[in-house]
Amino acid sequence: MSQSENFGIYVHIPFCLSKCLYCSFISKPACENEIKHYIDFLCGEIENKNNLFVGKVCNSIYFGGGTPSSISEKYIEKVLKTIKKHYKIVKKPEISIECNPCSVSLTKLQTYKRLGINRISFGVQSLNNKELKAIGRRHNSALAMEAILLAQEAGFENISADIMIGLPFQTKSSLCKTINKLVSAGVKHISAYMLILEDGTKLKQMVDCGQVKVANEDESVALYDMTYKKLKEKGFERYEISNFAIPGYECRHNVNYWEVGEYVGFGVSAHSYYGGVRYANSDNFDEYYVEKSTKEKISNRAHIEEMIMLGLRLANGVSIKKLNMCGYDILKHKRKEIDELLKLGLIAISDEYIKITPDNFGVTSAITLKLL
Amino acid sequence: MQDRQKNIRNFCIVAHIDHGKSTLADRLIEKTGTVSKRDMSDQLLDSMELEKERGITIKLTPTRMFYTYDGQEYILNLIDTPGHVDFTYEVSRSLLACEGAILIVDATQGVEAQTLANAYLAIDNNLEILPVINKIDLPSADIPKTRSEIEDVIGIPADEAPCISAKDGINIDEVLEQIIKNVPHPNGDESAPLKALIFDSYYDNFKGAVCFVRIFDGKCKAGDKIRMMQTGKEYEVTEVGTFTPSMKPLNELFAGDVGYICASIKNLTDTKVGDTITNADNPTAEKLPGYKEVQPVVFSGIFLSDGSKYGDLKDALEKLKLNDASLVFMPESSKALGFGFRCGFLGLLHMDIITERLEREFNLDIITTAPSVSYNVYKTNGQMLEVSNPSLLPPTVEIDRIEEPIVKLHVFTPPEYVGAVMELCQEKRGIYIDLQYLDKQRVRLDYTIPLGEIIYDFFDSLKSRTKGYASLDYEMNGFMPSELVRLDILLNGETCDALSLITHKDKAYERGRAIAEKLKKVIPRQLFEVPIQACVGGKIIARETISAMRKDVLAKCYGGDITRKRKLLEKQKEGKKRMRKIGSIELPSEAFMSILRTNDDNDE
Repeated sequence: MSQSENFGIYVHIPFCLSKCLYCSFISKPACENEIKHYIDFLCGEIENKNNLFVGKVCNSIYFGGGTPSSISEKYIEKVLKTIKKHYKIVKKPEISIECNPCSVSLTKLQTYKRLGINRISFGVQSLNNKELKAIGRRHNSALAMEAILLAQEAGFENISADIMIGLPFQTKSSLCKTINKLVSAGVKHISAYMLILEDGTKLKQMVDCGQVKVANEDESVALYDMTYKKLKEKGFERYEISNFAIPGYECRHNVNYWEVGEYVGFGVSAHSYYGGVRYANSDNFDEYYVEKSTKEKISNRAHIEEMIMLGLRLANGVSIKKLNMCGYDILKHKRKEIDELLKLGLIAISDEYIKITPDNFGVTSAITLKLL
Repeated sequence: MQDRQKNIRNFCIVAHIDHGKSTLADRLIEKTGTVSKRDMSDQLLDSMELEKERGITIKLTPTRMFYTYDGQEYILNLIDTPGHVDFTYEVSRSLLACEGAILIVDATQGVEAQTLANAYLAIDNNLEILPVINKIDLPSADIPKTRSEIEDVIGIPADEAPCISAKDGINIDEVLEQIIKNVPHPNGDESAPLKALIFDSYYDNFKGAVCFVRIFDGKCKAGDKIRMMQTGKEYEVTEVGTFTPSMKPLNELFAGDVGYICASIKNLTDTKVGDTITNADNPTAEKLPGYKEVQPVVFSGIFLSDGSKYGDLKDALEKLKLNDASLVFMPESSKALGFGFRCGFLGLLHMDIITERLEREFNLDIITTAPSVSYNVYKTNGQMLEVSNPSLLPPTVEIDRIEEPIVKLHVFTPPEYVGAVMELCQEKRGIYIDLQYLDKQRVRLDYTIPLGEIIYDFFDSLKSRTKGYASLDYEMNGFMPSELVRLDILLNGETCDALSLITHKDKAYERGRAIAEKLKKVIPRQLFEVPIQACVGGKIIARETISAMRKDVLAKCYGGDITRKRKLLEKQKEGKKRMRKIGSIELPSEAFMSILRTNDDNDE
């Protein structure tokens, strides 16, 4: 079974208990009726699109949000059943669900386990209560640690935690503590995202008017470098710019994105990519319910650019051979830039891959721009 | 027929900038019913968007008005003039077409540098000067003081000067009456051969070049054959008319009139401002004295951010040149900026206006290099070069001496700032000539000073050191030898020609350091460390370092939203297109102009 015949399924659950201050995603607190209506519609969408992947096999399913754990597990069950009924799935798929430490219970986690979910991703963000409060998270450090224990108790081994870099009040030592605690708790995978102040978020407003201070360029890059080194010590490999895992625990679903693989997304604002076209469901509920979406045919040129842009995020880098297969000889077309970057030690070429050297992931965008 | 001229008055309004010229012009037009209230807009004669926005007059615009006084109807021809020192030559042009000038003085500020300069221009042209005291509506207006300043400083009687508020329309009739009573009427010979002065011209897409004329002798109508006395070219008149202020055709123009002549003239350069138009079949023997040719004094390279649009820039400059004979330009190429033009301007304001019009009216994204003056470079082989582009300065060994343009500078200031002004003039290599107390509140300082220092940041410094109270005026005053050197800027070891400038030897160190510091602020971090060096004659005199970039956006691709990530990257890519590559360094376009403004920051 070749990889190109695989695809991923993403399910968006746009509900949360409350909105975090930095969040610019589609999510909202909801009442039971609304959730039920959404799930029904979502299952309809899953069913309707089942003819898109004839002959292909789903390799990963990912529940993201919002907060998938904030809704009753019966809905997750319904969605999974619908997927299984209409799509061909590999024997051992990776099935992930994003959870908020506040909205899990042992029973809920046990149900997830029973449904075949085998990977839990906790939105921990930090284990420092002051930092958590500053970004409007509902949980505290103790609750997060307890959630991880509960997941383990329910039988989960593949547990991931999201953490953030550059939070208000964050210091090297507080970040270090967060990482140490997570690793000691037995987390196998950590996603470390730099805080981005998105337009329209409360946090950006607060920073703009001077109410809170976040890390500057040098500070956040120092925090990121420290995260990389710390996790390396603990046996975590950085397989992607923001993702670190004990070997064997890389997130299959996300790797598919970086390798420009095919996937289908269900739910409001979900994105899909198949047959050379990128689709995006509307990010407005009313529009989503009338099946409004946009699509963009990816030209060969754009496809090549995506391969470079996404591939450079991976530790392995971008495959020169794959680019060649698309008719693009990067070594020829970008000779000058590649030589310049090689001379500066920013990239390395090995095994037919161009990759960013370990210390220079901070400037991925600038390097990518040179190679596009 | 000479009687007809008894009821014509040709006049202009002169004043220091901001003393209310255009507002008074508005009131006169309104009062005489030339333009109905409905069509009135503020500063009516300032038709360019830029003029209205900045509240300045750039082009002169004539208007014919009718006014009845003592039972007789009079034709009043008003020629509005610019007030800024850059445009002094435009003032002198309109003066030649008039018999009288209204001299406005702001009652809150009194006589300023340009008031005096313009008054002298009018006196030199034998014009009757009518002083008018404006802004009497303001609480700080001091009429008696203003009156005595006009008498003491300028030396003309002011006891009958109307006290007006152009803004509120107070005593406007008095101004009109005085024009009729005191400005001499024209006194040409209608039966003599045609003698008309071109005092301005502009290009109309349908009519061709339109000549703004003052008819001194004779008459002119459609069908007449005319001759330009300087160029000798002949045309057949297609239309004559007057300004209301829009162009209104008339059957005929007569001696004493101000109006326009169209003759299907294809090229604006054939209608030389200052030339005399005469009748080809019945020519006049001698032409009118005309004007001195205007010379640009400030030069700057203009390039496009997107170098491939060189042709667009050329077209745009040619179009602007059609209506602005004072703009000169020639092709220039820079290693750093590619192909562009070295342009000559009348001053910094003129340069500012041209660059802004290029951006606004032609939608061009331009880069200007630091303004420079034109130096006379005498080479050891006896040759003399005029150098306005620092990168074209010959090697030091080939230079015998360099002479720089000098101006005579007049600064008007309240006495408490005399020290500050003198200090500034000294810093700028000025040589003191004279200090005069005009009255208790006002001192006039005269200096000779290199023009290159004035265009650097003199005006802003003067304003900030005198809390805005000082005003200045200057006139060109020849060349003087000076110890000048070229200051080069090296980025990552490579000279960036577009950043070079010529400066005095003693100032090179200070400016080099200031520029290096400034560039460090405006150049974004690159993927590698970038040294910035200032260098004179191969010797490094200042150095700064931009450390390498450490971080850019590590965006999370949410739920497979690759499109968003690509859009972000594309946006960054667009941004990079606007950067100029100098070797391997990416430079934002502001960098080239910012080196001019190094001093502002230090003052803050």
